[in-house]
Amino acid sequence: MEDRAKKVIYVQTYGTEARDRMATPIYLAAAAAAMDMDVSIYFTVHGPALLKKGVPETLLVQRVDGDGAPIGHFLDQARELGVRSLVCQPSLDLNGLKMEDLIDGVEMIGGAAFNDIAVDADAVISF
Amino acid sequence: MSGAGMSDTKAKVLDCRGLLCPVPIIRLSKAVKAIAVGERIQMIATDPGSDPDMKAWEKQTGHKLVSSHHEGNEFHFLVERAR
Repeated sequence: MEDRAKKVIYVQTYGTEARDRMATPIYLAAAAAAMDMDVSIYFTVHGPALLKKGVPETLLVQRVDGDGAPIGHFLDQARELGVRSLVCQPSLDLNGLKMEDLIDGVEMIGGAAFNDIAVDADAVISF
Repeated sequence: MSGAGMSDTKAKVLDCRGLLCPVPIIRLSKAVKAIAVGERIQMIATDPGSDPDMKAWEKQTGHKLVSSHHEGNEFHFLVERAR
């Protein structure tokens, strides 16, 4: 094991339209953080809609056997472990959102910053 | 790894039976941060992915998986905080 924590970035493109797919990157991000990795989730395309105020606590994860817990439960679990939530401006525009529409604790970055994080990361995992 | 050392009476028990991935690893991570270096935790899980997950967790975190064995559908792991 190296001294520097390994960096992993998950790219979340699914939003509220994909209740069966939206939770997996968040589960994996939490597991990576529990392995002492430096973890971020970059919400883009439809992803930022998951971070709109009022959504995390009400949008239920869809399972084959019915509805599970709200997505906010899993987001909080990941964030408590140190997982960072990132968005960029164009992806907010695409969803008709502004920073103030989002839940607290989301960081704004740009496309250049995302690419910088990606090339420096040990793994970039896209959903 | 072997079954030796599983009867560590000083180890705290972390019962993760019935919990699914990634919850056992999250609970273990928190529990290990709460003990001192050199102390141990005995974790019991029923998640079928526990065995490969614990090996990966050991490899990435540097903490020590002292021993592991299964009993029926239960996996028993003895973990030592290494740093």
